[in-house]
Amino acid sequence: MSLKIETRFGRIRVERRVGYGRLYSISMTLLSLALAFLVVALILASLGLDPVKAFQVIFGVFMKPSLLLESIKQSIPICLAALGLSIAFKMNFWNIGAEGQIYMGMIASTGIVLLHAYYGFFHEWMVMPLMFLASFLLGGAWCLIPGALKARLGVNEILPTLMLNYVAILIVDFLVHGPWRDPKGYGFPLSIPFPEYTKLNIVLGEPAYTGLLFSILGAAAVFFLLEYTKLGFEIKVVGQSPAVARYAGIRVRSTILLGSFLAGGLAGIGGLSIVSGIIGRLRPGASPGYGYTAIIVAALAGLNPWVTVAVSIFFGGLITAGGALQMSMGIPKAAAQMIQAVIFLMILVGEFIKRYRIVIERPGASER
Amino acid sequence: MEKLVELRGIVKRFPGVVANDRVDFELRRGEVHALLGENGAGKTTLMNILYGLYKPDEGEIYVRGKRVELRSPRDAISLGIGMVHQNFRLVESHTVLENIILGLREDGLRIDFEKHRRRIIELSERYGWKIDPMARIWQLSAGEKQQVELLKILYRGAEILILDEPTSVLTVQETRRLFEALRRMAREGKGIIFITHKLNEVMEVSDRVTVMRRGRVVITKETRETTKAELANYMIGRPIVFGQKKASAQLGAVVLKVIDLKVLGDRGYPAVNGVSLEVRRGEILGIAGVSGNGQVELAEAIAGLRKPLAGRILLNGVDATGMDAGKMIELGVAYIPPEGNKLGIVPGFRVVDNLFLKAYRYPPYSNKLLLNWGKMLEKARELIEEFGIVTPSALSRASSLSGGNIQRLILARELSGIIGGIPRLIVAAYPTKGLDIGATEFVHDLLLRYKEMGSGIIFISEDLEELLLLSDRIAVMSGGRIRGVLAREEADAEKIGLLMSEAVVQAG
Repeated sequence: MSLKIETRFGRIRVERRVGYGRLYSISMTLLSLALAFLVVALILASLGLDPVKAFQVIFGVFMKPSLLLESIKQSIPICLAALGLSIAFKMNFWNIGAEGQIYMGMIASTGIVLLHAYYGFFHEWMVMPLMFLASFLLGGAWCLIPGALKARLGVNEILPTLMLNYVAILIVDFLVHGPWRDPKGYGFPLSIPFPEYTKLNIVLGEPAYTGLLFSILGAAAVFFLLEYTKLGFEIKVVGQSPAVARYAGIRVRSTILLGSFLAGGLAGIGGLSIVSGIIGRLRPGASPGYGYTAIIVAALAGLNPWVTVAVSIFFGGLITAGGALQMSMGIPKAAAQMIQAVIFLMILVGEFIKRYRIVIERPGASER
Repeated sequence: MEKLVELRGIVKRFPGVVANDRVDFELRRGEVHALLGENGAGKTTLMNILYGLYKPDEGEIYVRGKRVELRSPRDAISLGIGMVHQNFRLVESHTVLENIILGLREDGLRIDFEKHRRRIIELSERYGWKIDPMARIWQLSAGEKQQVELLKILYRGAEILILDEPTSVLTVQETRRLFEALRRMAREGKGIIFITHKLNEVMEVSDRVTVMRRGRVVITKETRETTKAELANYMIGRPIVFGQKKASAQLGAVVLKVIDLKVLGDRGYPAVNGVSLEVRRGEILGIAGVSGNGQVELAEAIAGLRKPLAGRILLNGVDATGMDAGKMIELGVAYIPPEGNKLGIVPGFRVVDNLFLKAYRYPPYSNKLLLNWGKMLEKARELIEEFGIVTPSALSRASSLSGGNIQRLILARELSGIIGGIPRLIVAAYPTKGLDIGATEFVHDLLLRYKEMGSGIIFISEDLEELLLLSDRIAVMSGGRIRGVLAREEADAEKIGLLMSEAVVQAG
């Protein structure tokens, strides 16, 4: 990226930094966080709230075990979706549709649970594996639609992936208002609550631990795929240049199909982690935008799977902090979201400044 | 004679290299001054400093005797310095006129297009160019685009002109026209700096020549007091042999047979229009012709990158028509693409990744699913050694390699046999374009070596000299057809030129 703005006073230029130290990187992140908290403090003060107390709540999220567990729980769908996105983005496949793929994953998991609960299909022990399989397949299939459009017809993936989000969200609405509504739910648009053996709590009976395990397994899988498999190599070549990939004899179309399927599949399992780990049933709006947050996470993590896990937990913490602020201080929901947004924004700007340098040059030739 | 430019003791360091090391250079009024050197010798860096794109770490710049400091190209332009870069910087969808007056500040709010149009026509006629100011850039040939670039800087009254390898995109005729215009500009009292690595051009157009090697100036001389051999010696630091190279190889069985092939070009009309040819084991078939006459499309069809419209491709007697690139690779076709730095490598990948861009999927470098990095790295280190690729390590990014080294990397990948033995057919499209003498020699020697080992080779080039040097037979291509095939003994530049022009008459 290079950008130049000419002004009367000189030229403002944005340059990529050639390389920067770790210390610089960390201190920039801390600085942008500090700035974020400063802005947040101003917002809170203007609302007549005590910033110090609010910060105690926000930091408390990362100190108090129960809230930390909640943060990790919130991070699971974000992390799995972001891992999928790192595959897609490596392939230069701009999947904006992780949100929709998450919803399809929720539908698939819920479908398996209902098949078992209503019709008695499968043994109890088979339900959980089948939920994984189904959510992976359906999430993958959802991403395969724009993937196939791109591979076959050369359709740009951004709009189809984005628009399929709304379709998926509306399908969930339809199901919980209609055929999948809990008969004992007093007419609320909710599925039946999931039975205990379909909950994501196989590790120490705690969804956060179980989910963290899956996040780490997912990161390992994505890392392994990209670094050590033929498919991973092909995905990266296609992402760098489809023309070179063709020249190298790589089947570009099948690579795009497989890559987009895997990306959607991981987001689908992210959907499973919501219904089976966080909420315990299907309801409208079950994902408050995890799929979009995942885009930011994948980008901030530089598409590195291991970093993705850590960044996801931080963002999970911010979501948890929003909830905690609402409850303990009566801060309105919108204000809590605004605080999150300010922090996102500052980190993004900080990352930008980390990678680029802004140069101002004075105009005019000087003859000495 | 008045000195237009004087550079004294210029030093420019980049991380890890000294691109310019205490360089002195001067340009006089009324001369064409060639700046000669291999890729990476520091020519372009030096000129970017004179054009205000880089700031020198040390040294002084004098323009017309006055010391100046250049902070940006704008400063350079205001001092009458203009530069034509290797790749053009024009807005493709705009007209010639719009491109030329872009950024000009002489008009106020209203632009007097008619005035500019007249002045542009006047200016271009002065140099014997026929440029329509209202034509859009994308409609122009490379030669015409270059004329627009020159007009752009002349229009701003530049008298110090820097041309960075201006002939690399031109045909023989266009080159000749450019040289005439440059001589004319010199007679008018302008000073021209002509960056090149081609010795012929130095001898043909320049008054003086400065040779650079590894960031330093080796010598500055009057062109008429020197010879090609002497310049080559200065340039690469050792003598070079000009003349014919012979590699005797028994011609064997037919490797490739192309029958009445038709291939669509990017614009949707047939770029290859009924080509038939044959290559035997141990034979180099040269394909001559001005580029853009179907050579690349022919090469891509044989490499499996373009589906033929009609006709047949037989490899070792097996019908390979319409097979994809993967299949062709498995049948032993090596393809050295034109503009290797674009199509031949992934710049963001490491050297080892690029070396195994094709071979990664075959044993022993991978099994059904997994890559074997250990094997690949080990082999990559061997190839780096064997093909003389200059790189810090196998794990460095390919983008940090020079053009010559990128070509060596591509050759190593295609020819070394990591994909399953020595290639049966090598399709080399402009393999030496843009390379310096040393690297060009390397490519020539390598092709001859594979000829001796029994590969059939299709060698596409625009450079008649190297075609005559290497080929056993030369096919002349134009307008998507083969206009004639000459054996090496009977071929000469005149006959080849004749075949090309006959075709033009037929086509015209």
